[in-house]
Amino acid sequence: MTAPTLGDPRPGARRGGLRAAFKRRDTRAAYLFILPWMIGFLIFTAGPMIASFVLSFTNYDGIGSTQGVGLANYKQLFDDPSVAKSMMNTLLFTVLRVPLQMAIALALAMLLLRVGRAAGFFRTVFYLPVMTPHVAVGVLFLMLFNGNVGVINKALGYIGITGPSWTTDGPWIKPGLVLISLWSLGTTVVIYFAALRNVPQDLYEAAELDGAGPWGRFRHVTLPQISGALFFTLVVNTIGSLQTFTEAYTAFYGTGQAQSYTSDDALFYVVYLFQQAFQFMHMGYASALAWLLFVVIVVITVIQFRLSKRFVYYEGDAR
Amino acid sequence: MTVLDERRTNDAEAPGAAPPAAKRRRTVGERRGPAGPLGRAIRMILLIGCSIAFLYPFLWLVSASFKPAQQVFDNALIPETFKPGNYSEIWDAFPMLTWLWNSTVITLAAAVAVTISSGLVAFGFAYFRFPGRNVLFALVIGTMMLPGTVLMVPQYLIWDWMHLSSSQLPLWAPNLFGSAFYIFLLRQFFLGLPRELFEAARVDGASYWTLYWRIAVPLCKPALLVTFIFEIQAAWTDLVRPLIYLRDPELYTVPRGLKAVLDQFGEGGEWRWEIVATASVIVTLPMILIFFLCQRHFTEGIATQGRKG
Amino acid sequence: MAAPPPKRIRRRLALAAAFGLLPLTAACGGVSLAGDDSSKSFTTMGYGLGDALSGARMDQARKALDIKIRVNEGSFDEQQFLSSVAADDPPDVVNMDRAKIGGYAARGALLPLDACAKKEHINVDAYRDPAIDEATLNGKLYGLPNSYDSRVMLINGDLLKDEGLTPEDFDTSDWDRLERTTKKLVKSDGGKLSRIGFNPKIPEFFPMWVKANGGALITDDGRTATLNSPKVVEALEYTSNLLKIQGGWGKVKALNDSFDMFGTKNPMARKQIGALPFENWWVNVLAQNSPKTDLVAVPFKDRKGRTINWTTGYSFAIPKGSKHPDEACTFIKAMSSAKTWQIGAKAKRAEAKKNKGPYVGDFTGNAAADRDIETKIWKPSGNEAYDKATRTLYDVQDKGFAVPANAAGSEFTSAWQKAVNRVLSGEQTPKEALDQAQKQAQSVLDIANQGKR
Repeated sequence: MTAPTLGDPRPGARRGGLRAAFKRRDTRAAYLFILPWMIGFLIFTAGPMIASFVLSFTNYDGIGSTQGVGLANYKQLFDDPSVAKSMMNTLLFTVLRVPLQMAIALALAMLLLRVGRAAGFFRTVFYLPVMTPHVAVGVLFLMLFNGNVGVINKALGYIGITGPSWTTDGPWIKPGLVLISLWSLGTTVVIYFAALRNVPQDLYEAAELDGAGPWGRFRHVTLPQISGALFFTLVVNTIGSLQTFTEAYTAFYGTGQAQSYTSDDALFYVVYLFQQAFQFMHMGYASALAWLLFVVIVVITVIQFRLSKRFVYYEGDAR
Repeated sequence: MTVLDERRTNDAEAPGAAPPAAKRRRTVGERRGPAGPLGRAIRMILLIGCSIAFLYPFLWLVSASFKPAQQVFDNALIPETFKPGNYSEIWDAFPMLTWLWNSTVITLAAAVAVTISSGLVAFGFAYFRFPGRNVLFALVIGTMMLPGTVLMVPQYLIWDWMHLSSSQLPLWAPNLFGSAFYIFLLRQFFLGLPRELFEAARVDGASYWTLYWRIAVPLCKPALLVTFIFEIQAAWTDLVRPLIYLRDPELYTVPRGLKAVLDQFGEGGEWRWEIVATASVIVTLPMILIFFLCQRHFTEGIATQGRKG
Repeated sequence: MAAPPPKRIRRRLALAAAFGLLPLTAACGGVSLAGDDSSKSFTTMGYGLGDALSGARMDQARKALDIKIRVNEGSFDEQQFLSSVAADDPPDVVNMDRAKIGGYAARGALLPLDACAKKEHINVDAYRDPAIDEATLNGKLYGLPNSYDSRVMLINGDLLKDEGLTPEDFDTSDWDRLERTTKKLVKSDGGKLSRIGFNPKIPEFFPMWVKANGGALITDDGRTATLNSPKVVEALEYTSNLLKIQGGWGKVKALNDSFDMFGTKNPMARKQIGALPFENWWVNVLAQNSPKTDLVAVPFKDRKGRTINWTTGYSFAIPKGSKHPDEACTFIKAMSSAKTWQIGAKAKRAEAKKNKGPYVGDFTGNAAADRDIETKIWKPSGNEAYDKATRTLYDVQDKGFAVPANAAGSEFTSAWQKAVNRVLSGEQTPKEALDQAQKQAQSVLDIANQGKR
């Protein structure tokens, strides 16, 4: 056994009434330590959430007078075709992007194993795009993916494929954005790499003795052993993808001119929310939009957690 | 949520805690590369190929920034006509230096603030047993799940109410109060520290502050560094908040500034992509260089972090 | 890994911490500074100082005002504008797209200019009607024109000669012939579009095609959308088909996006396009960059053969909460007066001369100023093509029309633009798209009309 840590239950922890507990010196100290967060939570999270909820029943726009509008904003969510469209766009983008991102990142991380010290260099290279401002990524998308003169289609041309008009042809915009978003999967690679390095070696040796081939070892040792990391990235990347904003906004909605040439094909949910809130100043409606997004994200996350109970392996679980 | 909590069993082995190595099983990471020379060569070739794909957009940008307008899309990496004038042109047209300075200051402020505050709060949750702890920590985790965009509007209204909605303050000041994700992350690290260290110090009469500052912080430097780096990355690349809060071009950060350049020179503007490319290089390169120079600490730290997930 | 990090990091962290304190002071200082600034100086938004004309005009405004003018260059940004009004920290005067004025006026973000016009003795009748109408909501005036963009057909004369065609082949009153010409001129190289035969410039120019077909997007009172009326649907069917027969919107736009619109290798010079309707400013750009191109500019005709000219442009308006509304009024008067325009046009002519390009006139939205510039400043340069183009541009000034002002402003615009885009991307048929747009547009109009104020 290892030495007891702060995480282990404290032997002989004092128990007593609440009142007694609050009089204790360490309780007061504890609250002092977490005080910054409590203040911040009230000002920047709890307060805004209440405000946002109240606003969603008004037509507040920051300029004119404000009236309560009952459920009108929520009703409008269902009447406004752009809501459904942008939600579908966002979900499609997420469904395409997250698995691809995970699969490619895992492949890269596995390549990084057993190349010795060079791994550090490659890891850095894969991480560099993460440090690039998303605006620049949006700019790169427009330049590299231009259907006519972009380098992507030029490269496809070499292997005899006529590339689509990624930036202008409605149905191709989302796949294009997925591709450029894969450029910044560095964080996921680094996380998988660390998780892979932590897999106990004897498990592979045992599997080999049992006659498992490379696929079998991957399927029965690697995947279960890094399932924690996989799950973590699944949740985080899903929440991130559902909130995609900057690349699409930069490339398609940044200026009136750009907007006038773009249909709703590149309209992501948060882009629409942003437009409603800060371009048209429909703060009430935008608040209702935000709550819908919140509900969607909570539902998806809960489903993911439910499923994770079946697939995620933790040390100490009976196998 | 429960699942994340269960991870504690694993996190007891967190690197900060460094349980005696002898007791741990040998891991893949410690295996010395018995991959055959052929396997290794194949891996290297694949990795080099992927690296080129990852680096290519940077090279393309740099090369485009030295081209005249007509050659931007010839996709040659070596410019046919070398035109460094793009840099002086953009330097004259926009306050690039001001933007870089703004970004540097805001990014550092954001990262320092969030590291210090989240560390404090995380220690509070990790070391003490106090009434309300579980409820409050559940709130922390709840906030972690809360998408930032949901609070975009009301937070703006709060800053507006304080008459600070067109300042740089909203870009970093909220970090003074910690951030749920980092609190969670750092707490996991603190939980892995051996209790006896703290008990011994207590016996010697150390204050709680001393416990935090002299024992917990030095042992968790890698985790604090990761927090710092993550926030640097987040603050440096953020466009949403600068878009909402910054109206005076003198206050812009580099992403916001790049968007202004794009508005003027990109689609719908003057269609001069070489200028946009030049601006992109200027906003991208400093960070890339710094990161490259310090990469060992950065990726090591994050790699350490990977075990959390 | 548990080893303490090397000293270097510690030093770096300390440095970072030291830096961290800086912004505290910097930010606090910055905030109070901004507060002082806005009350002491006069700020503008959306007015750029890009060329000699705008600079010379700003000099005139500076002379008229005894307060320091701070020019926030960069194009008008809706989001920035509205949040500045909401934050009660707006610029003192703003130069914005007239199509947006109705929407902002309806929600009370702009001050009416009627009192200002009276006080400063501004003769509103001197301005062109479409520019005034587009900035007038419910009988109140909210903006005075800073620019007046006309749209004419620009035809590639060199290409016509190559192909044995005449400008009449691009006569927009004969839709069948126009389609045949388009088909004839479009060119592809190995599956890739290399030349656009004719670009109808939709979604942007869709209102002009609707008008040409005898329809309208909205009733004259600006209260009822008519986006799915048969004439509108027909106009969309025709124009979207023009793009379809050239390989589809994706290809046309991709090629269009790669054009060097502002340089010497522009699509006219490189014969990458047969013809397109365009705003007058591009004539100016072409004149500077490729004076040798045989540019043929002819009026845009409706289907009955009458000249029509969809005009848009920017107007100066005063935001609610402006700290200097009186000065703003003086500023607007100074900027849009005939005298200022003359001075500005002279400066621009000098600039054109310096660049060895012909001066092609300026179009101001102020009829008196236009006359002055046409007769006193502009002189035939001897470059026949561009001289003719300038003549055409002056001829169409009186034929202008604008989309009526409405309370939904940019949301109304967005409704029909998105409909056009949905058709272009093949998502919906013209009828479906416009039915949907009609519903959306009417809903935003109703909300805007009954809602606030």
